[in-house]
Amino acid sequence: MKLERRDFLKISAGATGLVLLHPSNLQRVGEDAETSADQSKLAMLVDVSKCVGCWWCYAACKQYNGLPQTITPDPEEPPELSPETWTTLFTTRKDDKWQFRKQACMHCTDAACVKVCPTGALSYNELGFVQYERNKCSGCGYCSEYCPFEVPQLQTNKISGDALMDKCTFCIDRVTNDQPTACAEACPTGAIKFGKRSELLEEANARVEELRKTNPDAYLYGANELGGLHVMYLLEESPEVQGLPNDPQLPPAATVHDVLQWVGVGAVGAVLAGFGLNYLVARARMVKEEKK
Amino acid sequence: MMEARTVERFKKRTILFHWIHTAAFLLLLITGAILFFPGLGSAAAGGATRIIHHIASVVFIGGAILYIPLNPKRALQFVKDTLKWGKDDIDWLKAAPDYYFGGPEGKMPPQGHINTGQKMWQAVILGTGVVFLVTGAIMWFARGSVSAGVFQWCMIIHGIAFIAALAMLFVHIYLGALHPRMSESFRSMLSGKISPTYAKHHYGKWYEEISETENK
Repeated sequence: MKLERRDFLKISAGATGLVLLHPSNLQRVGEDAETSADQSKLAMLVDVSKCVGCWWCYAACKQYNGLPQTITPDPEEPPELSPETWTTLFTTRKDDKWQFRKQACMHCTDAACVKVCPTGALSYNELGFVQYERNKCSGCGYCSEYCPFEVPQLQTNKISGDALMDKCTFCIDRVTNDQPTACAEACPTGAIKFGKRSELLEEANARVEELRKTNPDAYLYGANELGGLHVMYLLEESPEVQGLPNDPQLPPAATVHDVLQWVGVGAVGAVLAGFGLNYLVARARMVKEEKK
Repeated sequence: MMEARTVERFKKRTILFHWIHTAAFLLLLITGAILFFPGLGSAAAGGATRIIHHIASVVFIGGAILYIPLNPKRALQFVKDTLKWGKDDIDWLKAAPDYYFGGPEGKMPPQGHINTGQKMWQAVILGTGVVFLVTGAIMWFARGSVSAGVFQWCMIIHGIAFIAALAMLFVHIYLGALHPRMSESFRSMLSGKISPTYAKHHYGKWYEEISETENK
């Protein structure tokens, strides 16, 4: 078979295209775009195995945010998250040994609270975490009822219904000034690390791989959950043992609510348009009738 | 032009009740719409609209409940009228589209004190009122005591009732005050009186009834 020059050019152009379109190359292009967008995101990494239950994170959070202090809590009855307690420890007992997990807002990428908050009090900060503007809160409590981690809590007057939510702010004043979060800075064992999410993720993945050699249950919680959490946990057991939902999801009602809002807009629009049409037709016909 | 002789369509206390209920309902819808429709939420910041919503709900539900001991006969009649459906209602439904689009008046079967459309509006108010009351009370008083799922679906059902009530309120306002054929309807909810001609054309059966009692 004789190969023409034109044919040769055609074949080589096609081959180059195939190489460029090869999945591994495509993936690399995608990854680059993703990592550059993720480069600015901040996060915390909580290594549960390193936590000794000293409650310094709890105290530092209270002190920095001017929340009412309590004495060092009893692990038997750890304080629950509330508008006055934004950081606490989840405690479990295993073979007479206490285990502790720092508990606060998870700062989800796909946050149910942000989705349902009607006033915009909850929103995404460009650094990745879920920021909260207290003066915008209407006290509706939707965030509290939709959060898969039951983090947002409200102070409520049961009679008037007046209410106000409060939660971890990711120390927005500190982290936007190149300082770590108060809890991470206070942690004496390195159980709470603060930094760029991409770097923490890399570090955590390496550590999980290491742990998995001896412990197949080791898991990095928050790498992908709800689009990726900005507070990730290195766990040595199944998440449920640490009081975390195994596969957290946005509640289906949040999506139904989204759809319903637009059904409402459509219904109002249709009714108003119908009136306009009805008025014109009815009037015209009635005038005609009168003239007869 | 209004004729010299008039017939009483609504009693003064009915009119007063209607407008108190209207004021509360509008406040509820506006403060609710702020939370419901995308883009309006910032008006709820600070929570003042929530307090207004709660106060208005007490007036709206409390007013309706208070009406029962004050006027038990009318209250019972209201529920009976709303729930009792017959052949006349089917005939009305068949004739209504043409009638409301300006068709000839003669084709509409004669109606009682309230017509089938008004009956449907009353049914919406009664039905959504109960739904608003139950789901609203749970969200107001039982948040934290009921599961998150119960709260979430209360919020959804409250929203569905809101859409139904809002759309039907628009229909009520349109037919009560704006539609070219309902020329004396709005006035009747202010003074309580309508002309005999309007009564004969719009509520034929009822007009016959009251004319008979008058002549006795």
